[in-house]
Amino acid sequence: MVGLPYDLVANPLGAVRLTFEKAVAASGFEPDSMDWAPVDLFRQFLFDQGNLSQVPILNGETIRWLRPKTLVRFRGMIQDMLGNEFYVGAYKDGSVWRTNKFTDVSQFPIADSSADMRVWERRLLYCVPVPGQNSWTEPASELVLNRCMDFTSQQREKRRRVDDEGIDHMDMLVSDDGVQGSPSTKKMKEDEQPSVSSQNHESITESNCPNMSIVPGIDKDSLPCLVKIYDSPESDLKLNDVFEFIGVLTLDSELQADKDHDELSNGFIEDALEHLPPNKVPRLHCLIHKKLAASDLLNCSPVMESKPNLVKEIRDSLLRHLTAVLGNDGLAAHLMLLHLLSRVHARVDNVAVGKLSLNLTCLSKESASLFGGQLTHAFRNLLPFTHSIPLTVEYLNSVSLAPKKDYETDRLITGVLQLAEGSHLIIDETKLEAGTLNSVGVENARLLKNLTELQKVEYDFKYYKMEMAADVQLLIFSEGKSNILPADIVIPYQPSSVGSSEVVAGQALEAWRWYLASVKSLPHSIDSEMQKVLENDLVASRQADRSIGSHDFNRWLTMGRLMSASFGETCLSLEHWQMVMELERLRRERLK
Amino acid sequence: MSMTKDLDFSTDKVLAKEFLSNFADANGEAKYINILQEVANRRNRAIQIDLEDLFNYKDLDEEFLRRITENTRRYIGIFSDAIDELMPEPTEAFTDDDHDILMTQRSDEGPENMDGSDPLQKMPPEIKRYFEVYIRASSKGRPFTIREVKASYIGQLVRISGIVTRCSDVKPLMQVAVYTCEDCGFEIYQEVTARVFMPLFECPSKRCVTNRAKGNLILQLRASKFLKFQEAKIQELAEHVPKGHIPRTMTVHLRGELTRKVAPGDVIDLSGIFLPIPYTGFRAMRAGLVADTYLEAMSVTHFKKKYEDYELRGDEEEQIARLAEDGDIYNKLSRSLAPEIFGHEDIKKALLLLLVGAPHRKLKDGMKIRGDLHICLMGDPGVAKSQLLKHIINVAPRGVYTTGKGSSGVGLTAAVQKDPVTNEFVLEGGALVLADMGICAIDEFDKMDESDRTSIHEVMEQQTVSIAKAGITTSLNARTAVLAAANPAWGRYDLRRTPAENINLPPALLSRFDLMWLILDRADMDNDLEMARHIVYVHQNRESPALGFTPLEPSVLRAYISAARRVSPSVPKELEEYIASAYSTIRQEEAKSNSPHSYTTVRTLLSILRISAALARLRFSESVAQSDVDEALRLMQMSKFSLYSDERQKSGLDAISDIYSVLRDEAARTNRMDVSYAHALNWISRKGYSEAQLKECLEEYAALNVWQIHPHTFDIRFIDA
Repeated sequence: MVGLPYDLVANPLGAVRLTFEKAVAASGFEPDSMDWAPVDLFRQFLFDQGNLSQVPILNGETIRWLRPKTLVRFRGMIQDMLGNEFYVGAYKDGSVWRTNKFTDVSQFPIADSSADMRVWERRLLYCVPVPGQNSWTEPASELVLNRCMDFTSQQREKRRRVDDEGIDHMDMLVSDDGVQGSPSTKKMKEDEQPSVSSQNHESITESNCPNMSIVPGIDKDSLPCLVKIYDSPESDLKLNDVFEFIGVLTLDSELQADKDHDELSNGFIEDALEHLPPNKVPRLHCLIHKKLAASDLLNCSPVMESKPNLVKEIRDSLLRHLTAVLGNDGLAAHLMLLHLLSRVHARVDNVAVGKLSLNLTCLSKESASLFGGQLTHAFRNLLPFTHSIPLTVEYLNSVSLAPKKDYETDRLITGVLQLAEGSHLIIDETKLEAGTLNSVGVENARLLKNLTELQKVEYDFKYYKMEMAADVQLLIFSEGKSNILPADIVIPYQPSSVGSSEVVAGQALEAWRWYLASVKSLPHSIDSEMQKVLENDLVASRQADRSIGSHDFNRWLTMGRLMSASFGETCLSLEHWQMVMELERLRRERLK
Repeated sequence: MSMTKDLDFSTDKVLAKEFLSNFADANGEAKYINILQEVANRRNRAIQIDLEDLFNYKDLDEEFLRRITENTRRYIGIFSDAIDELMPEPTEAFTDDDHDILMTQRSDEGPENMDGSDPLQKMPPEIKRYFEVYIRASSKGRPFTIREVKASYIGQLVRISGIVTRCSDVKPLMQVAVYTCEDCGFEIYQEVTARVFMPLFECPSKRCVTNRAKGNLILQLRASKFLKFQEAKIQELAEHVPKGHIPRTMTVHLRGELTRKVAPGDVIDLSGIFLPIPYTGFRAMRAGLVADTYLEAMSVTHFKKKYEDYELRGDEEEQIARLAEDGDIYNKLSRSLAPEIFGHEDIKKALLLLLVGAPHRKLKDGMKIRGDLHICLMGDPGVAKSQLLKHIINVAPRGVYTTGKGSSGVGLTAAVQKDPVTNEFVLEGGALVLADMGICAIDEFDKMDESDRTSIHEVMEQQTVSIAKAGITTSLNARTAVLAAANPAWGRYDLRRTPAENINLPPALLSRFDLMWLILDRADMDNDLEMARHIVYVHQNRESPALGFTPLEPSVLRAYISAARRVSPSVPKELEEYIASAYSTIRQEEAKSNSPHSYTTVRTLLSILRISAALARLRFSESVAQSDVDEALRLMQMSKFSLYSDERQKSGLDAISDIYSVLRDEAARTNRMDVSYAHALNWISRKGYSEAQLKECLEEYAALNVWQIHPHTFDIRFIDA
């Protein structure tokens, strides 16, 4: 590796400054007209030279030993957008131009003359760990071996990995009701960790880790982060997107001390940032951001070319697994597979094309908790983000499903339905009993209905509501057909055995995860000959049965797409279409 | 450097003075001098300088204008100085208030009190001013959205639209602090420019300084000058937020006369100066890195939502003019309603007319005739009735969507409720009252409560809601057009039963609807294929197939409709006969048939007039034309056919021979042998037939030598038998 003048990981700001000075010199000391892009340097270093793994990941644990002003990575979902922040981007210190880009505090004092000052702007994004994220998606933590860490923490790291594995196995046997997205793994880890790491904490403190003071208030599993975005088009980053941000960490506790001094100057309207003190919420000055697709979340993506037979093998084994989990209901397993591969491809005239929600009916309270538990558990190991909602009257009447804007704090208060793209949501309607809904409950029921029908969630901004597009896979358990949640496919569930407790090998899990993530994003086309066949089939079925409508047509075409995708193919074939029609026939038979 | 700057400002002050004294508005009045006189007479405080006036000023100096927009705050000071010099003497007597008495005292004491050139003792001009200067941005062009205001606009005058989300109380803000010194007795002035200031404690006067007395200063609240101050937050409007983003907010400072003008929930158009908040104290020393910004408001305009108050923007007027010139406006507008819903051309036309409406008439004897059209859509589930309703509500500037079951206890009309705190009875308006001067869409009309259905009779004809409950007898206005959607009696339309059985609404209510449509989901191969094609296309291409035309934007529709609603067309004398004969024909036909399925009453006649007037409005015409009446009759016929088309088929006549008999009867009636094609089309379209069917009929009967068809004009000449 060519020696760089600065260590980009330990001192990224050094590199920022150096390139800035060069650019200023090159442009004839006119910061307005200069072409300065320190980001390229980092991009080259991290991606072209493959040094990404050297950059530590910022989370509730690593924050204990990460130093401010170093390069870190943060993975999270954009939960709120706090608007713009204006800062003195460039200023003259004597005769030298300096920059404040990528920092919160300037290195040198700023003179008071505005002529030699350039105000630039950056965008503030409030990011949180993705709701319902499953533990297997967390990046391998060996990368965290950072200069700051001493021997103790390395030991700790090893311990942790061992623990994780242990938990993984235990996980397989745990079946809980899954009240919220937070999986049991996390609970267990929390229980264990303090005893494991309490001594380590102290040793780290001794080894002069700077951030000790900030640790207490932080919930270890949900470390939010305030990301500051520079010079990127607004349309790049959208609400609820999952991103990896690489940038400079700042945790300046001095900034926080200032707050006491300007109490006077703040009127009744408080700064949103005041509710995010830097000692609870670290700041990340983003250099590079990258949207994470499902396949980016795979830990070690196996080098698998999408050979048709390989895909088919994985498909068969996954189908076997699903059939086993579903108590040998093959039809349900087939539909389940299609359901797991669905995502919203496009929105045309209020129709979310590509969604495929599934409603398993004929479940009693008992069987729902049994099979539901197994399914929840299986999905947790297969899908990156999973949630489940037990639908009861009290729940509907009390919970806030939709995010809501709080004008007191100028923040968007998250709701259960603020979910990342591609999240999986299980709603258990079997727990619902007759009762009265209050206005909150009615509103919540409407939200759920909108989500299932349109894949949209209305965010409440008090003076108006804004529809946000969602892409959530919905699985509904109910006794009869659910009317609150009108799913695309309704199938009476007929298990013939009580689910299996089979232990799945890690390798198979990895293959399935890879399969689900990559097959999902395959392109799809229908050739003109096939189009004719489809049109004729659709018209014929409608002529035969007037109750078939556009809703059913959409469902069949979606199923056709998913069916061919599940075999790793990108073009709908007659065979797959017939498989879909056959599944439909079996399903209708069962409905009778 | 600073010399030249001062020089600039003093020349600009001269420019400002010239403008204020010489500007003449459209009527040739010296607008600003008049305002100054009002200020001198204490009738007005605010002096609003319109940049548009500067732009229209005869000696327009573009550089000067630019300097004002880019450094507005400084120029408020310059204009204030200029106004100080221009201020005329009051022409009316007014009683002195405390402020004046203080001022007289001060100027009396002035000479002896002045102690050299101490700036803190010089009375700042601010304290003498009774007026407030605002510079208002031009209202031309589109206002910015909040996210468009970037760092480069700092210090500039901008215009922003948004919704108010929070408002603080109005508080006094110190503008000039006045102290008196315990030792030397001098008045000391301190101008305050920021929200926070450090009060003076030691007397800075020369006497105290030389005596080293460290005179104790006492703040004189009565003598100090305060300004009303209010802080508000505005937020982007939902339609301005890009997909997948969160609305941005901005802090707004309102001062003086602009306070108490906004309340949370108001949609406003603001002009103001975009400024950073200077940090004070410790934080400033820490490099002043992050700057909060706010908008110093200069003017506030509220958005209006009624058609009548709709202000056309510059480009919209042009667009409307262009559309109006284009002949096909009726089709173009109606197709642009819910373009994603396939077909239903006539229903969309009817809905367009509902949006346009007819003028209300008030007769000499005090009787009112409503102008609002009422339409009822009835049909099988899943034929996009609700979607149509919702789309209409979106286009209408004032619309309420509700279902017959109404989710609130108030229901549709109004309710008397007991206030839980005061125990007083209060009236709460229901959806129909809330939609006054707008459109009320009622879904699930058939599932409405019996009580609401009774009161809706009154709303639909008298356009009022009467209440006689709990000691309150009153009548509320409900001048609303009702758009109802209903399912047939048994959920789906049952072909074995009669239409009347299927509709299941009392005739009294039905007769109040001007038009009624039945939308059936018929087993039609073509429609099914169309739908299948559409869906396959969507799945293949991830977008809708091209519509074959570009639908107009809802905003353009709204603008056109509001412009059309200002026209109030009348029926010319020569048409009265025509309408009367058309009406009597319908009555006769009804009398002839042994099972009348419609109730043609005087209401029908009024409906014809209303629909015709709405059509004339669409053409921006002051008088109803015969073509309007024909189209109105055609729509009514079509609406009837949507209900009774099956019976027509039962009557044994096929379309072609029916057309022939229509034409023959008409020719016989008018005693002519020649029928022009346009007339023929007119007659048959009133009966609900299409042009294609007419052509087919012409060819078929021409082959039988019944008539001759002109090869180019298609005019018809009957052959004498």
